[in-house]
Amino acid sequence: MDYELTNDQKELQQDMARFCKEEIAPKAKVLDESPRDKTGGIIKENLKRLARVNYLGLGIEARYKGRDLDLVSQCIAGEEVAKACASTFLSAWSSAYMFGAMLKLFGTDEQKDKYLPGLVKADIIGALAYTEPDAGVDIAGIKTTAEKKGDKWVINGTKDLVTNAPIADVFLVLAYTDTDAESGSGMTVFIIDKDTKGLSVGKSIETMGLRGAPIAGINIDNCEVSDDSILGGETGKGFSQIERILENGKLGMATMAVGIGMACMDKSTQYAKERKAFGRQIGKFQEVGFKLADMFTYNDLGRMLTYRAAWGFDKGEKEASILASCAKLFAGEAITNIANWAIQVFAGHGYLKGTDVERLYRDARFCEIGYGTSEMQRSVISKDALDKFAS
Amino acid sequence: MDFAFSDEQKMFRDTLYRYGKEEIAPLCEEADLKGEFSYEIWNKMAKMGVLGLPFPEELGGQGADIVMCCIAGEALGHAGVDGGSLLAWGAHTYLCACNIFNFGTEEQKKKYVPRLASGEWIGCMGLTEPGAGSDAASIRTTAVKKGDKYILNGSKTFITNAPVADVAVVFATLDRSKRHEGITAFIVEKDFPGFSTGKPFHKMGCKCSATSEVFFEDCEVPEENLLGEECGGWQIALSGVEWDRSTLLSPFLGGSIYSLELCARYANERHQFNRPIGKFQAVQHRIADMKVFVEAVRLAIYRVASAKDNGVMLNPLQAAVNKVYAGDEGFRMASDAVQIFGGYGLMHEYPVERNLRDAKLGAIGGGTSDIMRMIVSRIMLM
Repeated sequence: MDYELTNDQKELQQDMARFCKEEIAPKAKVLDESPRDKTGGIIKENLKRLARVNYLGLGIEARYKGRDLDLVSQCIAGEEVAKACASTFLSAWSSAYMFGAMLKLFGTDEQKDKYLPGLVKADIIGALAYTEPDAGVDIAGIKTTAEKKGDKWVINGTKDLVTNAPIADVFLVLAYTDTDAESGSGMTVFIIDKDTKGLSVGKSIETMGLRGAPIAGINIDNCEVSDDSILGGETGKGFSQIERILENGKLGMATMAVGIGMACMDKSTQYAKERKAFGRQIGKFQEVGFKLADMFTYNDLGRMLTYRAAWGFDKGEKEASILASCAKLFAGEAITNIANWAIQVFAGHGYLKGTDVERLYRDARFCEIGYGTSEMQRSVISKDALDKFAS
Repeated sequence: MDFAFSDEQKMFRDTLYRYGKEEIAPLCEEADLKGEFSYEIWNKMAKMGVLGLPFPEELGGQGADIVMCCIAGEALGHAGVDGGSLLAWGAHTYLCACNIFNFGTEEQKKKYVPRLASGEWIGCMGLTEPGAGSDAASIRTTAVKKGDKYILNGSKTFITNAPVADVAVVFATLDRSKRHEGITAFIVEKDFPGFSTGKPFHKMGCKCSATSEVFFEDCEVPEENLLGEECGGWQIALSGVEWDRSTLLSPFLGGSIYSLELCARYANERHQFNRPIGKFQAVQHRIADMKVFVEAVRLAIYRVASAKDNGVMLNPLQAAVNKVYAGDEGFRMASDAVQIFGGYGLMHEYPVERNLRDAKLGAIGGGTSDIMRMIVSRIMLM
């Protein structure tokens, strides 16, 4: 038993921290404040920067120019990106650790050869499109269909809230290929390039936070693709593929929460030292100091739960999925509180537009929502616990 | 990085869990109702060997590392052993015997550790005083050297195991004006002249551990019973923090696993409005929170424990985090468990009732949650 990071992991952490502070953090404010149709260019530059330190290839095999590191290392590095700029984190995670991981886990060799080297270099940006206006975590409720006509698949449907859609070069699209089959076996994921006829990306959606992470819906109107576009080459695997990748989504949200939490703590601690009231540092007042302590406590444990779950996936533990839900729930709720406390420490100064904690507060809120709300996680976790003790 | 328990550790846990469940847990309800120290439970723990877990075999122990000790606490808590009996064990082994083992002379170790490890003698530790709790450096119990003896005067309070103890590790000051730098530790036997204990307190929880005051009236302690050096007591008092923040918390982890299982079973069995109450989201919500708590607190405890075993220096932030979280959230979880059981949860026959009363100690004993937050915030603001 050894809870410490390995030397390689510590080195990765330090390298990423230094790099993100210098290269990514300076763009956080401008990304947040730019009009939505202007952020795409900046975020692409940030992804290019991250590619320089091979962050996008951390989990990708070496033969595609990746570093082939485990999920724990991806979380360790991800925290530093999220601390510097949560929008950049989300965009990068969606491209490399959601889209990229789907190809890595399920793609055919041809599909990997085609996309992964470009993805690692940020020459290609990927997006995962499964959510629809009427179907979120309830994946079976999607309406998009793919119908075989001759040797082509004809896809029709609408996807909503697709992170990276405005800048994506390629999409993974979940569709029903057999509406009569049980939902578990009637779905298929298609790889669709953005220039495919019939695919159109909607207007960038305005969001409360994470304003630098491009997001839009996509419309798929009689889009024709061949069998080569079926992820993994086999139909009927879509449901389980998406279910598996949502685990990365949960870990991503937990990682983002911990990263934003670090930023909140740094800012709040610094302010609590500098700001004086009634003749002393405000941090010396227990109402402020204890908030800092609670920030640390919940962020620290959220990180441990995240690493534990990631490590579970790396080791192929069955329990990893529930642990990831625990991490996502814990870290997600923690950051809602932590960001709230950060504003409270800054008081009036934290309420001003353009301050860091104000942005962090808005960014943080998504951690309880994305890839399964806190409510969904509780439902999954409790079902597991109840089933274990069913009479 | 390796979060896994070894096969040996898993087997050890299973063995203790089964023993605790079959041999000890059935005794706990009645013992808790009586609210007294249970020698029957004590002897069962002694028989199992847990009282001497961390000591080498030649001193009658099992040679266990700190992770193994936590596994034992977790397993017995999980088995349904009450918090009081487990606290009695913790105070005896980790607060008394460990200090003698770590700071005692060879003679002291040979004299006391085997007797404590076997459970023949019961140990306690006396630091807290009526006027010195969290601010332990302000203790008033004095020690004065006279000839080949130290003469102790003063009183201690909230001393776990005091009414049943044969031997106590006691902190007194040689010079109050020096505060923590004057504090000195002694090994005091119950038969030393001038040593007495008060009547056991009636406590809210952890009732099977006997707690009382301790009085020193010109209490004579032979000089060979000085523990460590003169004025070296503060270091001894602080030294056990890894043990406090892991082994002493491990029964709370076990207790919360026990509680989660009881709640999950009950939520499946109990029907209202024609369905198991586990189908209601408000009940599910609490069950999910308990599961998250169990996972988080498990990581917190074994992180500190394994670091100690691996020779990594203690991170005081992590130690304090354990205590804050296990204490505060643990009590909330125990309260949620009672809520799931509804009216039954208020009844003594249901272990969730006892668990709630026992859990409150987590946020108080060995440094309150407030003190832990003070430690964390001070370090952050450095």
